[in-house]
Amino acid sequence: MKGLLKRLAPFAPDTSGAVSALFELGGLVVICDAGGCTGNICGFDEPRWFTMRSAVFSAGMRDMDAILGRDAQLVEKIVSAQQTVKAPFVVLAGTPVPAVIATDFKALRRLTEKKTCVPVLAVESTGVNHYDRGASRAFELLFDAFAAEQLPVEKETVGVIGATPLDLGTLRAGDLLREALGPGAQVYGMGAGLDAVRRASANACNLVVSPAGVAAAQLLEKRFGTPWRPACPYLPEPVLEALPRLKGKRVLAVHQQFACAALREKLLGCGAAAVAVCSWFSMTDALREPQDRRLAEEDDLAAAVTAFGADAVIADRVFEKVLPGFKGEFIDFPHFAVSGRLTERQE
Amino acid sequence: MADGYFYIKAGELAERGIKDLPRELAGNRHLIYSSPATLAFNSPGAQGFGVKRAGLAVPESVMLLVAPRCCGRNTSALASPGGALGERFFYLLLDETDIVTGRHLVRIPEAVKEICRTLPAPPPAVMICITCVDALLGTDMERVCRRCTEAAGVPVVPCYMYALTREGRLPPMVQVRKSVYSLLEPRPKKADAVNLLGFFTPLQEDCELYALLRQAGVKKIREIARCRTFAEYLEMAEANFDVVLHHEARYAALDLEKRLGIPSVELVRLYDLEKVRRQYALFGAAIGASFDDGSFYARAEGAVRNFADRHGKIAFSVGEWLNGDPFELALALLRYGFAVPEIFGTVGEGNFVWVKKIAQLSPETRISSNLSPTMLLYGEDAPACDAFIGRDARFYHPHLPGIDWNGEAQPFGYAGIAALFRELDRALSSGKEGAR
Repeated sequence: MKGLLKRLAPFAPDTSGAVSALFELGGLVVICDAGGCTGNICGFDEPRWFTMRSAVFSAGMRDMDAILGRDAQLVEKIVSAQQTVKAPFVVLAGTPVPAVIATDFKALRRLTEKKTCVPVLAVESTGVNHYDRGASRAFELLFDAFAAEQLPVEKETVGVIGATPLDLGTLRAGDLLREALGPGAQVYGMGAGLDAVRRASANACNLVVSPAGVAAAQLLEKRFGTPWRPACPYLPEPVLEALPRLKGKRVLAVHQQFACAALREKLLGCGAAAVAVCSWFSMTDALREPQDRRLAEEDDLAAAVTAFGADAVIADRVFEKVLPGFKGEFIDFPHFAVSGRLTERQE
Repeated sequence: MADGYFYIKAGELAERGIKDLPRELAGNRHLIYSSPATLAFNSPGAQGFGVKRAGLAVPESVMLLVAPRCCGRNTSALASPGGALGERFFYLLLDETDIVTGRHLVRIPEAVKEICRTLPAPPPAVMICITCVDALLGTDMERVCRRCTEAAGVPVVPCYMYALTREGRLPPMVQVRKSVYSLLEPRPKKADAVNLLGFFTPLQEDCELYALLRQAGVKKIREIARCRTFAEYLEMAEANFDVVLHHEARYAALDLEKRLGIPSVELVRLYDLEKVRRQYALFGAAIGASFDDGSFYARAEGAVRNFADRHGKIAFSVGEWLNGDPFELALALLRYGFAVPEIFGTVGEGNFVWVKKIAQLSPETRISSNLSPTMLLYGEDAPACDAFIGRDARFYHPHLPGIDWNGEAQPFGYAGIAALFRELDRALSSGKEGAR
């Protein structure tokens, strides 16, 4: 039945993606909800929240706020909080409540901007879409708002867009990417802050590590001519260690598409017979091969495994629940947006 | 108020009165700051009991969450492999059209049928959890549940996870308590049977309330969390009376009185020995019994005295994410001779009486709300404390010894007081964090 999950729990929603993309950048983040969404986003989808103080707030909407559409009251609350936080920008993140009452985010953004005198990014997330959509929109709005000035290109500076714990599954993702790419790497949202965003036009190129970074990279290409390419320079060690034993096998990789593409390259390098990529999340045509599949429903993965004739599956171990009859090798590749499990906790 | 985070001294707050709460103590007048100290407020289900976990207090039941994906996200923490609730959650995810048109409502009976088909045996009940979306759509969930029952042949009950109505007359945690007892059907009464209502986990094993009720001739003391099967749960309908141990169960108790003719009496969780003694005396009088609680009192008093002897008149930071009311607990600590330089809590009509008494004993005690945006600035100008009580207080004082005091076994009465000071003694003796 469409939309019915009997064995899996829901994956991270778009609101979580939006907050994750902007979490480290010092903005005043307002989640337009009654409280529960904020609790889920911070308490479950944002592992940095437990270790890093950040200005994330719930609008604390109540039934009459929603029924009467008290936007002015919300703006007043934001102005008051901004007097405490003094953030360089404000983020408005949507949830199902504003989606149902059709909040005019454009108007809310303008009103908030006028009253706070700082840029406001309004991410019209709804809570019904996957995290990658929210993260993508947040990265795009961020660069659109702050990467305005054309600076001389610095050859050694590389931008990394699309990095969040939701996709990369580790709190050390920023460090690992800088280790892999050199000190000139600016990992936006995981180490590189708002100043780095403002200087994005100086990048010699941008590496996009997840589909969530594509829209922002395209915007920078259009605005400054900065070339970009997909890349996933970091894959967890336990996964890499397992690859040599998959020589000659048909392997199905399930994760975010860019990680799977990097994995495919390595698997084929190790002699895997064939590799198919499956994802429940956005997939760009540039990295898509004919055997790849976008998944929608819980039963789709089992069908994909059967159709591809996979000998091995590389995926977050929660997916074992939807592959009860699978007899091949299952290699765990944690995906935080799926299971809420960091690679640090990989057993 | 200092330049940093907001606090108000108890003396000043008592003088202003409940009608003149400062803006920073009124959650509906500012944004809600999200920190680990507010997790229990923002998402009770993420830690402890929210509507989702509470709804599954009905033994052997399963839950279908009908909501956008964001509402079910944290449930995977509850439904993790090996978790007690592992296989009991199902989800019907709504898309954008659903949340605007409500078309998902016609799919719910089919979803319930499919769940029942999937399970090795049909569950004795299906709890349907709905969220803010249906609150705004004005969904008649009782009607949808009746249709589900007709379609699947099992009782289906709504659980309203309406965060939007948190400060309303019937907030979600009040509604869900009614829901979990709504499956009880009339049965002949048994004079020696009593239900304890209010918590979703059992009282601490050594709670004297069990012994006192037995002194009064009660033989069957039932709590929903101790019912292992649905059949055992149904036996709760034979109770002679209910003892309400948490104010959020009052509405459920009234419903049981109306539907099943079970009257109720309410007891409050208190940390003040003398108040506990008075409450038991009144309770005994109400049910026509005379309790001999001397030995329990003495044991708890000994625990308090022992702690004071060993650790002196130390200063506590008291939070609200704990098993109790922070203001009542703080007042009890003050009466035992300890200091309470700060309290993190939500001031309301129900607990302002404690604030006024705190003001008399310790007018300088600072009162703050975890939810205030200014808590982002909590830090250097905080008052000196020796220990913390409460998981939120731990967040502000990670280097102090103390206890979270929010465990699953519910502390109550003299036994609760004794356990509190035992745990504090353990934590302070080791100089590290105590019971989580």
